[in-house]
Amino acid sequence: MNNFLTNQLPVADWVENITEWLTNTFAGLFSFIQSSGQSMMDGITNGLVQIPPVIFILLLTLIAFLVSRRHLGLPIFTFIGLLFIYNQGLWTDLMSTVTLVLISSVVSIVIGIPLGILMAKSSKAQSIITPILDFMQTMPGFVYLIPAVAFFGIGMVPGVFASVIFALPPTVRFTNLGIRQVPTELVEASDSFGGTAWQKLFKLELPLAKNTILAGVNQTTMLSLSMVVIASMIGAPGLGRGVLSALQRAQVGNGFVNGVALVILAIIVDRFTQHLNKPKTAASKATSKKKKWVTVASVAVIVLAAVGLSAFTGNDKSDKEINLAYVEWDTEVASTNVVAEVLREMGYKVNLTPLDNAIMWESVSKGEMDGMVAAWLPNTHGSQYAQYKDQVDDLGENLTGAKVGIAVPSYMDVNSIDELSDQAGKTITGIEPGAGVVNAAENTLKTYSNLSDWTVETSSSGAMTVALGQAIKNKEEIVITGWSPHWMFAKYDLKYLEDPKGGMGDAEAIHTITRKNLKEDQPEAYQLLDNFNWTKEDMEEVMLEINNKKDPEDAAKEWIEKNQDLVESWKK
Amino acid sequence: MVKVKVNNLTKVFGKKAATALAMMKEHRPKTEILKKTGATVGVYDVNFEVNEGEIFVIMGLSGSGKSTLIRLLNRLIEPTSGDIYIDGEDIAKLSKEGLREVRRHKMSMVFQNFGLFPHRTILENTEYGLEVRGIPKEEREKKAEQALENSGLISFKDQYPNQLSGGMQQRVGLARALANDPEILLMDEAFSALDPLIRREMQDELIDLQATVQKTIIFITHDLNEALRIGDRIALMKDGEIMQIGTGEEILTNPANDYVREFVEDVDRSKVLTAQNIMVPALTTNIDIDGPTVALNRMRKEEVSMLMVVNKKRELKGYITAENALEARKTQRPLSEFVDATITTIDKDMMVNDIFNIIFDSPTPLAVVENGRLQGVIIRGGVIEALAETSEVSVNE
Repeated sequence: MNNFLTNQLPVADWVENITEWLTNTFAGLFSFIQSSGQSMMDGITNGLVQIPPVIFILLLTLIAFLVSRRHLGLPIFTFIGLLFIYNQGLWTDLMSTVTLVLISSVVSIVIGIPLGILMAKSSKAQSIITPILDFMQTMPGFVYLIPAVAFFGIGMVPGVFASVIFALPPTVRFTNLGIRQVPTELVEASDSFGGTAWQKLFKLELPLAKNTILAGVNQTTMLSLSMVVIASMIGAPGLGRGVLSALQRAQVGNGFVNGVALVILAIIVDRFTQHLNKPKTAASKATSKKKKWVTVASVAVIVLAAVGLSAFTGNDKSDKEINLAYVEWDTEVASTNVVAEVLREMGYKVNLTPLDNAIMWESVSKGEMDGMVAAWLPNTHGSQYAQYKDQVDDLGENLTGAKVGIAVPSYMDVNSIDELSDQAGKTITGIEPGAGVVNAAENTLKTYSNLSDWTVETSSSGAMTVALGQAIKNKEEIVITGWSPHWMFAKYDLKYLEDPKGGMGDAEAIHTITRKNLKEDQPEAYQLLDNFNWTKEDMEEVMLEINNKKDPEDAAKEWIEKNQDLVESWKK
Repeated sequence: MVKVKVNNLTKVFGKKAATALAMMKEHRPKTEILKKTGATVGVYDVNFEVNEGEIFVIMGLSGSGKSTLIRLLNRLIEPTSGDIYIDGEDIAKLSKEGLREVRRHKMSMVFQNFGLFPHRTILENTEYGLEVRGIPKEEREKKAEQALENSGLISFKDQYPNQLSGGMQQRVGLARALANDPEILLMDEAFSALDPLIRREMQDELIDLQATVQKTIIFITHDLNEALRIGDRIALMKDGEIMQIGTGEEILTNPANDYVREFVEDVDRSKVLTAQNIMVPALTTNIDIDGPTVALNRMRKEEVSMLMVVNKKRELKGYITAENALEARKTQRPLSEFVDATITTIDKDMMVNDIFNIIFDSPTPLAVVENGRLQGVIIRGGVIEALAETSEVSVNE
């Protein structure tokens, strides 16, 4: 007992070890699921995108009209809502999200309904599964992202994995409930005529439990939709990515538009699944059933045809394809987009995936991503570099004279970290928890005795700049984790605090990191990444454009046009 | 020819079965057994035989274990111990597959709340037993339609159960059981959920049906009158044990113990049956208002040939026959001249046995009056029926 009170149990280590073991033991299976799942979902998304949006919208409006039995509310909402999403240029994202929700829901149903049946048939199974479901439902969705990345890397598949775990419980619970609610007398009737367990299940229990099960499925689709935003942190494409990047870059408008698109989708999905669940009168039953199946079948045919089409056309992986990872910091948005534009000019198909910092490193080390131009060394990403340096190629610096440090507005009368006492509520306003600058700041707190009771408040890079702007507007004190190049130094009058103990590191450089063997697989692209380098001023030019609400791609194109000579020199 | 034979059949719900059975042997009350062991004895040491083509009624109050007993017969509930022989084969020892065969071919069940599947049409419900046997669609539909035809429900075959009245639903339940052409029909309080009029009708139908199909029927009820009406033999249960088995006659005349005597005393109503109990509402014409045409009209509508005559205050004036009313209309004379006042009146508290003697000498129905006002009439059939139910008992006194 004493031991228990004094020694911490290494639970975290146990979980790490188990995950490690699983990852290594089932590596083959996981990578098979990853690759086949990825290509299937890419196929579906491509297929959905192939359908001309206008036709798609009209088709869905028609189905809405049929399922809502000639009420006009839902079809009108569907039509206007989807048209709005299309108008805002989020159609491809919407289709990715639809694919993710569709696959998560289907997988949840395929796993959930049999599990629910098992629970209904066996009280022992019920008493075992119920606490597991409680655990699954109350665990924050973020937690599932970690093993998902360990098992399946980044992209759609881990997104589906996390969504399924999070969204599965309602289907299981409601199936169990629905079957258990079938009146005893009816069950007895089926038994008394010598019906087998299967006959009883399919002829009696499932038809009677159908409405309850569909209510559970409705809940499941809603939950998997809510996981879409969270899953975008590990590279799941779709509307969630827009929400997340808006959060990290503090763009209220963008966040709102993406959020509204998600709301529209959620309402449509919810109403559709609810309408499938409406009790029918006997008279309407036969006719509407036929009609419904005709529409469902026709939609299925169209979708499958599109998927098939894309499978033949768009799904052969072009040999000139590059996957670049980045973090949603303004610096990296600028540099990554410039590199991507140049690669596109060279005829490459470039996929950009915004990720959390630690996951970005991991994905490159595993070879899921080809490379990144966002490694801040030696200090900021020191810990990640130490962890992954043997599994990646460091191609050297692409920008020098970068700096990270503790920064304050100029009107504050501190000039050095050791002069800090009780300013700004003894907090340093930081960015994302996994970011290198935050780790550096936390180390700094340990090295300076006057900072022993200070804390680093983590948020996101976007939230930090918003807080900074507010503080300056109100002439309040604020201490931030700063880094340059960054547009905030152009926009506000800020100063770095001196760092006598060097906890935050001296001048930093941004490095280009690629996966192993990229040189053999994609020599041209490797060449470009190797040669890519520019100056702080170049980068800030692009950043300022982006910060003035210009689309990152356009800002990158503009800069490339102005700097043709430099760009040409990279290609050699 | 014995069809079903039950030996020492026992069912205990719960864990400590052995202790509970030991206490049962000592005739401890159920509540005490439950308190001590947490187990409930549903059925205890039951023995009986049912002959082929017989309607065997198991009767008892709620909680007496009769519903458990019928479910033990087709093993919807697994027996704790004992044997159930059907055609000499022990059901209790059968494997799952064997039991399924018995359920499919030999026994069908009818339930108290009809047990119809709400998501299936009447026809789909009726063919369920054939469907699970894997009989091809056309053949099973033909059989199911035949069964519905027999119970006069064929026009409802595409309706859903909730569109039918209770009586119709139970006919469907019965048709579903019969479509299988079983040898044994188990009926668990089949008519208890119906209103008394429909119930009577269903009992009559069952008796008629039995005359043609000659099934072995095991019928559960808590209603003694129902048991006496349809049962060839009756078993009376109390607290999971059978108190007495015999014909209705035997149970009424020789109750095996006090419990049975108390139970059947309700039926011995000649002691308490009065005019008030057996009178029916009178068909009247109001002499102060109605004319002969109205009276005739009323007779035609009610399909009778005479009416009681009253005044505004419902005081009895006599009766009028159809011939007299016709005469009144032809001769354009008021109704009051044709009223026959020679009618026997009796008091509403008069005993049935006494009425019996009066009604034999009276050409007209007896009028039951109170303070000169007409309460109802007593017709010969009513008295005879009342006496038929009780005569045995009253003779014994």
